[in-house]
Amino acid sequence: MTFFILRRLGLSLALLFLISIISFFIVTLTPGSPYPWGELNPKISAEVKANFRKKFHLDRPLPEQYALIMRDLFTGDLRSIKDDRPVLSRILERLPATLALNFTSILISLSFGTLLGVYAARNAGRWQDMTGSFVAFLFIALPSFWISYLLAIVLVKGFHVPILGTHSYGIGFPNAFAAGLDTLWHLLLPATVLAIGGIAAQSRYLRATMIGTLREDYIRTARSKGLAEETVLYKHALRNSVRPLVTGIGMLLPALLSGAVIVENIFAYPGMGRLGYEAVLERDYPTLVALNFVVAALVLLGNLLSDLLYAAVDPRVRLE
Amino acid sequence: MRTLRLFLYGIPAALLILLAAAFINATFLSVAKKNEMSIGTLGEPSTLNPIQQADSASSQVGALIFNGLIKYNQDLEVVGDLATGWKLSQETTFRFATDEAAAKALETLNTNRARPGLTATSGFSNWPIIGLLTKGTNLIVTLSQPGLKDSEDMTQALASSDLHPIPFPPLEPDGKERPFKAEPVIRFTLRDGVRWHDGAPFSSADVAFTWRAIMNEKVASPRRSDFDLVDSVETPDPRTVVVRYKKPFSPALLAWMTAILPEHLLGKLDPAKWPELYNRAPVGTGPFRFGGWRTNEFIRLKKNPDYFLGSPWLDSVVFRVLPDPLTLQLAFQTRQVDFWAVDPWSVKGLQDDPRFTLFTSPGNAYNYIGWNLRRPMFQDLKVRQALAQAVNVPQMIKYILYGHGVQSTGIFTPQMWFFDPSVKPLPFDPEAAKRLLDEAGWRPGPDGIRVKDGRRFSFTLLANNGNEVRRDIATLVQDDLKRVGIEVKVEIYEWAVLLKRFVNKGEFDAIVLGWGLGYDFDQYGIWHSSQTHPEELNFIGFSDPKVDHLLTDLRQEYARPEIIRLAGELQRTIYGQQPYLFLFVPQGSEVMWKGAYRLRHPGPDGAWIDEPVRMTKAGWSYDMEWFYRPEYPPTAKANSITR
Amino acid sequence: MSSVPTSLDESPVARILRRFRADPMARASVAVIVLFALLAGITPLLSALGIPWPCDPNLTVLEQKLLPPSPAHWLGTDNLGRDVLSRMLHGASISLTVGLIAVAVSLGIGVLAGAVAGYFGGKIDQILMRSVDALLCFPTFFLILTAVALLGPSLINIVVVIGLVSWTGTARLVRGEFLTLRETEYVKSARVLGQRAWTIIIRHILPNAAAPILVTAVLGIPDAILSEAGLSFLGFGVQPPQATWGNIIADGKTYLLDAWWLILFPGLAILVASLSFYLAGDALREAAESRN
Repeated sequence: MTFFILRRLGLSLALLFLISIISFFIVTLTPGSPYPWGELNPKISAEVKANFRKKFHLDRPLPEQYALIMRDLFTGDLRSIKDDRPVLSRILERLPATLALNFTSILISLSFGTLLGVYAARNAGRWQDMTGSFVAFLFIALPSFWISYLLAIVLVKGFHVPILGTHSYGIGFPNAFAAGLDTLWHLLLPATVLAIGGIAAQSRYLRATMIGTLREDYIRTARSKGLAEETVLYKHALRNSVRPLVTGIGMLLPALLSGAVIVENIFAYPGMGRLGYEAVLERDYPTLVALNFVVAALVLLGNLLSDLLYAAVDPRVRLE
Repeated sequence: MRTLRLFLYGIPAALLILLAAAFINATFLSVAKKNEMSIGTLGEPSTLNPIQQADSASSQVGALIFNGLIKYNQDLEVVGDLATGWKLSQETTFRFATDEAAAKALETLNTNRARPGLTATSGFSNWPIIGLLTKGTNLIVTLSQPGLKDSEDMTQALASSDLHPIPFPPLEPDGKERPFKAEPVIRFTLRDGVRWHDGAPFSSADVAFTWRAIMNEKVASPRRSDFDLVDSVETPDPRTVVVRYKKPFSPALLAWMTAILPEHLLGKLDPAKWPELYNRAPVGTGPFRFGGWRTNEFIRLKKNPDYFLGSPWLDSVVFRVLPDPLTLQLAFQTRQVDFWAVDPWSVKGLQDDPRFTLFTSPGNAYNYIGWNLRRPMFQDLKVRQALAQAVNVPQMIKYILYGHGVQSTGIFTPQMWFFDPSVKPLPFDPEAAKRLLDEAGWRPGPDGIRVKDGRRFSFTLLANNGNEVRRDIATLVQDDLKRVGIEVKVEIYEWAVLLKRFVNKGEFDAIVLGWGLGYDFDQYGIWHSSQTHPEELNFIGFSDPKVDHLLTDLRQEYARPEIIRLAGELQRTIYGQQPYLFLFVPQGSEVMWKGAYRLRHPGPDGAWIDEPVRMTKAGWSYDMEWFYRPEYPPTAKANSITR
Repeated sequence: MSSVPTSLDESPVARILRRFRADPMARASVAVIVLFALLAGITPLLSALGIPWPCDPNLTVLEQKLLPPSPAHWLGTDNLGRDVLSRMLHGASISLTVGLIAVAVSLGIGVLAGAVAGYFGGKIDQILMRSVDALLCFPTFFLILTAVALLGPSLINIVVVIGLVSWTGTARLVRGEFLTLRETEYVKSARVLGQRAWTIIIRHILPNAAAPILVTAVLGIPDAILSEAGLSFLGFGVQPPQATWGNIIADGKTYLLDAWWLILFPGLAILVASLSFYLAGDALREAAESRN
């Protein structure tokens, strides 16, 4: 067991470095330079630009830049080109908001997705199943920016409800509970939009697996033993179909970050997706390298965790 | 298994209930507005240290936290801010071989100058001399007005008495020798009783420190070039600052609008530590103090009750970062922000809406199409004039800007005092354009596109993405030019790519851009022929000796009527050359919920004036420290006003 | 399981088609797809033939900007006075092209990678699958942006880039199929007979894996369409004045609160087109996998 974990960690670390090297070279090869004050500013002399370049090692050859950035990353001294603050603080201050958003989104996907999946599998082949499939694919086919805008327009023009940022401004709430509800409201909206695709995906996975499980012999045995359908469904079939849900979680993170870019922009939610998007536009290489590193690390960690969970859930699996 | 069922149905049910409760909370239960102003911005400030940033988002916030020595008032005239007064003078120094020669020179000048009794009309020279003395072999003449002309006159007068001063070495490595040293001096008198937000007293040491910081390489200040010509900054006492310049440079005074930084906090601190220890929590002298910054979300400022002009009425101001233009609009509609920079399309609808007040101001920017003058097809003036007359600019203003703009007649904007209104725009005349093209040798080819010497008149027009106005301009230009037989391909790139790949290298055909101008007339960087290297601003490769002369003369001219004359000539000359297709000066509109704010500010005679928020030449937000919300009227007891 | 030929008298293809045709949802979605393809195909043809309908999608008539739907303009006009219906019809052909070519690219790479990994196994398999893992760790948007910036924002570049980013799913699937099929008697005997690896792959294994590959292809088309819409929305799509569904919405972003037709119709089009492909693909998968 320990050997497995160590080996996986080692492999992941190697992969992590490979990823960071590739992403660094991709971004730096992209044309565009990271001056934070706007390049066509009549007041900035060439000398100021040269000083700036020197400060951020932009005049060194690429491999040396990469090495310097890596060194700074691990000594905690890596600074963002945009505002000269340590990159890690920039990422960490977004982390709680991103975690809240992703966690809520995953919670929503899993709970509604499971419900929908069980419902479909239970009525496999009948009209309820077809409706369920239709709804699932409808969710997947919805462009996120479209539904975000429509939702925003309806809520604002129809109900005059504030929806942007993490809480409402300029408003005094009567008590902490009301303020808390306000924050929750602002969190739930973008999380729901992000979760729409997840609901569909999870329900499809679950449905497929459960239909397969429901055909197994032991289910037939359970039914013939006279157990209630509910027990059969939940105690036996669902338990054994949990695998894809568990493994699916690990893969959700990069997808959520990508998808979050649009949603975070529209709802003005301060998460890591927006950080990455703006860093790309501004060619803020240190932030990008660090962000990629953190995201890749989280993903690989998530994979490791889901493999471990899988092993814990299903004793038949041996970790090789 | 019960538990499993519970989870399965319980969690979604709980989520739905929470959502409903939160929705109801947001819609009905939100109550009292706080005494706070919310401003929505599309971009976020990168840092709140004014000398390390140059983006407009940072300036907007910085203006409330800091003061400069001087500022613009609502009529765009220069008035004192931290300085109560300033005096300009100039020290011209001549040096000679011997002390006696210097003394003789002093005699000569003294004899020649006009004085009561010996006036200019009686043949004496009208030099504004306020001091004459010798120091060894040097003769120092103090003039009450900076400039080169008087000093050149004096050199002539000395020469005619056979006195020849020894020249000084040139200022720039490739410059000429100077017969005299002309050093303008500005003497500022500082306001008394000003305190920093942390209570420490403000003094001239802070001004001197700010200058040193701006010039410090480690600070990497983008404002450094504004102060390149400063020779020294001296502080004879805590209320006086004396700035000496290396040579006459008229825009120099305006550079002192830059914010002053606290010496007692930053003087001993290594600039490498500034980002964490100061830039995110700045301390200034302005009407509002820093109150908190959540990155990418908001910046909050709290009122400074000890502000030297009196405490602001508002408790706080919040800048909210809302990156999507649609949701910025939505935030305005739900009164989450009180102001919104309206795009022209919506102005019509809002103008007639009784719920809102609309403020329209002339912008200080113009849009243009830059022709790369290194490309042979753009080198003929007739061609450029044809292009200008083939594009229907008035229609662009009507339909892209909904009439909120003015056709540009050159490099200055109409509201500035040095703008020449007698320069007329080229008319929209496609027939004339066709004629000019024919004359230039471009004849229509088989496919309708003009041809000359076997080459088709086809070029690529670049624009940056994310800017709808420029994109629309490009599309309309493409259409208009097609009708006179010119083929235009439009390519849109991301801003950073556009600059690095095309503009900075000077490798493009034509590009849709705009200039945001400062409030001065110095446009050396954009039009001088020496500024055509990679990454410099004269990226179209414009070169005209007359323009070069005018640009340098303008920089050295201090007298207002002369400046107006030179600037007008510069504007006329450049417009005649059509190096750009000058498009238009857009008007900016901002809308506010009517009655959301009122203004209570001290009037000229000391009494309070209470009025609705109004438009001024400097914008509607001038005097923001005096805004108040009607729900929180300012208390009857007035602030003590120190003026 | 379904890909192994049985002794029934129906060929596998016919069986799949029969089941497919029996599903009403499948029939409906195919109908929509056919309609979509027709519209997308006919529009450029009509303009090539000089027929004046639909009107020029790039004709800017500034006096008519931002008009709501009316008999003159069924879907209204955009901010430069261009007819939205005609822009959407032209946009349909772009969307279809993007969908098809991007899928072709991703299929090409994915099938190749999956086949090689699945058939040869061992070290090659490990390397390929690790690269797939690595690729999946990237936020895809960032890769697309970089590539489009490097190569320039033309239709071909965008399509190729989308294809390059989405081959991993196909690769995984194909690898799985190959791993299974490699162990069948059929293939084993071919190996014993000395047939070369690539012959076996192409002539024996691939046809039997065709059904799942086809399903992936059909399911990949709407993904590409949605990616292109997202790219256009962010401003990295095709150049003006070319119309695509995504950039009609993007161009009209600032006016959306008042000009609802600029967001409703293109969004619906994207939704309906993607939905039909998804439903058709899913029905195809059901047909290929079910037991009757």
